Amino acid sequence: MAAPVPQPPRPPDSENTSDRMRAVARYSGIGAQMLATIGLSTWAGYWLDGHFQNKTPWFTLSLMLLGLFAALYNVIRSVTKEQ
Amino acid sequence: MKRLLLVLLCFLSFSVYANEPTATTEEATDKEAFSPGEMILHHIGDSHEWHWFSTDNDHFTTYLPVIAFRPGQGVSVFSSRNLAEGKVYEGLKLEHEHLVSEDGSKVYDFSITKNVASLMISAVLLLAVFTAVARGYAKRGSGAPKGIQSFFEPIIVFIRDEVAKKSIGPKYERYMPYLLTVFFFIWFNNLMGLMPGGANLTGNIAVTLTLAVLTLLITLFSSNKNYWHHIFATPGVPKPLLPIMIPVELIGIVVKPFSLMVRLFANITAGHIVTLSFISLIFIFRSLTVSPVTLAFGLFINCLELLVAILQAYIFTLLTAMYIGGAVEEHHDADYQMGGGDGAEPAHAH
Repeated sequence: MAAPVPQPPRPPDSENTSDRMRAVARYSGIGAQMLATIGLSTWAGYWLDGHFQNKTPWFTLSLMLLGLFAALYNVIRSVTKEQ
Repeated sequence: MKRLLLVLLCFLSFSVYANEPTATTEEATDKEAFSPGEMILHHIGDSHEWHWFSTDNDHFTTYLPVIAFRPGQGVSVFSSRNLAEGKVYEGLKLEHEHLVSEDGSKVYDFSITKNVASLMISAVLLLAVFTAVARGYAKRGSGAPKGIQSFFEPIIVFIRDEVAKKSIGPKYERYMPYLLTVFFFIWFNNLMGLMPGGANLTGNIAVTLTLAVLTLLITLFSSNKNYWHHIFATPGVPKPLLPIMIPVELIGIVVKPFSLMVRLFANITAGHIVTLSFISLIFIFRSLTVSPVTLAFGLFINCLELLVAILQAYIFTLLTAMYIGGAVEEHHDADYQMGGGDGAEPAHAH
């Protein structure tokens, strides 16, 4: 089986507005997703710490780091994926 | 010009963070009776009556029905006129637009609020418009479209060709009803929210939550084996790392619709807050001279919102289609780009 050959980039004028809008929407979506991942996991950790009344905010710390990692991982995965 | 609009779109996604504090700072600086923060939050929020406008000595308000269910006491239906200005009726009162009972017992509020009424109007409008379009197709078939049908045909074809086909692939037809519905629902409601007296329906987080949950459910129910294989045994990830990767992938499933929810809510709400803030400046400065400037800015933002209305509908639809596409796709080009794994390396070695 032949490995997929990388296609040469198309000349910019063949790229229509719809494709460009699509790219903008896609990448702005990835950015929003990154923010949402970090925000949501930090909030979950914060809530858990409040719920269990921890002295040291372990949940906030660990979930925030996990959220950061998840956000970065998902960004890298989304941008390396050929659309 | 197009590029400028695209750049604007990128920034608009984040504008809410810059704009939300505006209301509170205005609130703090204004000691007089007019409190812009309160006025703005009242305007973007839901309410039990539909307030159109006020003159010096009169309010023009449509009172909507209140439907309350209290366990043990059953359902009570009455006009929200009975609750206006903090009045108590049948042991119920409004506290910051929340229906509460006087004795503190539980109340389930099923009222036709402003947003619900607006939702019903938009549902009727959408049905009227799209049954007319559908009748056009039933009558003329593939012939040239006429009237309202010819206005919507390019948009429907755009959603089909540029959004659904490109994102979902060969199985796109099953998802067209949802994608078209969600696109036109968001677009129509965004535009209705911009009309004078309109309700801020798509800027209500409960509405966007419902849309996002629908997207999540459709994604999950249409997902195939590959999708779950990617989540629980991501190709190219060593086995000991899986306990970390599985939560990360599961977070990804939830976060995608969550970001859809927040984006639509934030963009529409931010637009309303900015417009109202500019208008409020006249009353904050108590001067006629600032009004040309603030009205010009308000008008500019309002025109921008007309664009944002369709862009946000498009983005929601496109990202929904992409998430569905990710769940139904069969083979994975992504595997080759992941830095090799169980499947990819031998293929390259031959």
